[in-house]
Amino acid sequence: MNEYWSWWLGALGLGGFCILYFTLMGNLLGVSASWRKVVNWRKEQELDAEISQFDEDVTGISDALMAETLAEFGDLAEQNSVSQTHSQNVVNSSTPLPSNIPWTAHMAFLLCMTIGGFLAAITTGSFKIEFTLSQVHSQIFGSNIEVWLSMLFGGIMVGFGTQMAGGCTSGHGLSGCSRLIPASLISTCVFMGSAILLSLLMESTLR
Amino acid sequence: MKTKSVIQHLKFGFLGVVMGFVVARIGFANFDELHNMFIFADLRMLYAFAAAVMMIMLIFFVISKKIPKQNKIIQPGTIPGSMLFGFGWAVCGACPSIVFVQLGSGKLAAVFTLIGIYLGVVIHKKMHARFFRWDTGSCGV
Repeated sequence: MNEYWSWWLGALGLGGFCILYFTLMGNLLGVSASWRKVVNWRKEQELDAEISQFDEDVTGISDALMAETLAEFGDLAEQNSVSQTHSQNVVNSSTPLPSNIPWTAHMAFLLCMTIGGFLAAITTGSFKIEFTLSQVHSQIFGSNIEVWLSMLFGGIMVGFGTQMAGGCTSGHGLSGCSRLIPASLISTCVFMGSAILLSLLMESTLR
Repeated sequence: MKTKSVIQHLKFGFLGVVMGFVVARIGFANFDELHNMFIFADLRMLYAFAAAVMMIMLIFFVISKKIPKQNKIIQPGTIPGSMLFGFGWAVCGACPSIVFVQLGSGKLAAVFTLIGIYLGVVIHKKMHARFFRWDTGSCGV
């Protein structure tokens, strides 16, 4: 039990990570949204292409505009150009920021969690290659094949459920609950409740 | 444009490593710990989760004006989706981020959960386009 952080250290770590994520990315943490973007990569790719095309168009248009203005008004326009770029910045910041992030960055986010988990396991000396999840899990579900099947179906439920509910532990539980969004509060209560119910049921089969 | 994209990848990669490490050190990747939390035998992780929410709430309250509006609405899929997710979580001990942490700590069986989640997201995509076309809102990013 001592190999894990105590609850207050864990809270500091988890809370600190969410704040770090927000300060670096300017948006709230949501892992299932990253999943959705990675799985729908073909659509995301088209979207990314459209956005970069749009950006090029905008800069192209404003450049042409600037050249025309310069030709017409000469030096006077150059002084005004500062305010013009300023107003352009304002427009850019009001357009939704998230769509600027390519889906491959979301994939990097997900895959790098493996490295994080590996580092944690190595530094505590608990790294061990195993083909089952844990002792209790095997006791509940039986042989290896049954364990694997249960994990496959559990995974399908998790994937389908998080997309249907529009968020998971991080999106609804951490980001949503901390801002008291009604949908997130309901969702968190429901998924915690159903997980507790099923776990109690599974525990009762052991005895 | 190119360098911006590289920086975004690096940032996201860094965040992924930190998140994997933190989550693993709290113990969310260990099915036994998670199961003990769900049957109320050991409430350490529940306290950690609740305290983290409190902490984020306080800090976000201070900087609330800078937070972008999110599209999180109550929709027909909120309750059934959350229930499915809860059951799945209890069975395979993984929410979408924890699969990767489990893989990293050497639990190779998590590959099946990974395939499962991928299939789940794809099935939802197809079914959503076909049968239920309501707005699911979005979670964060």
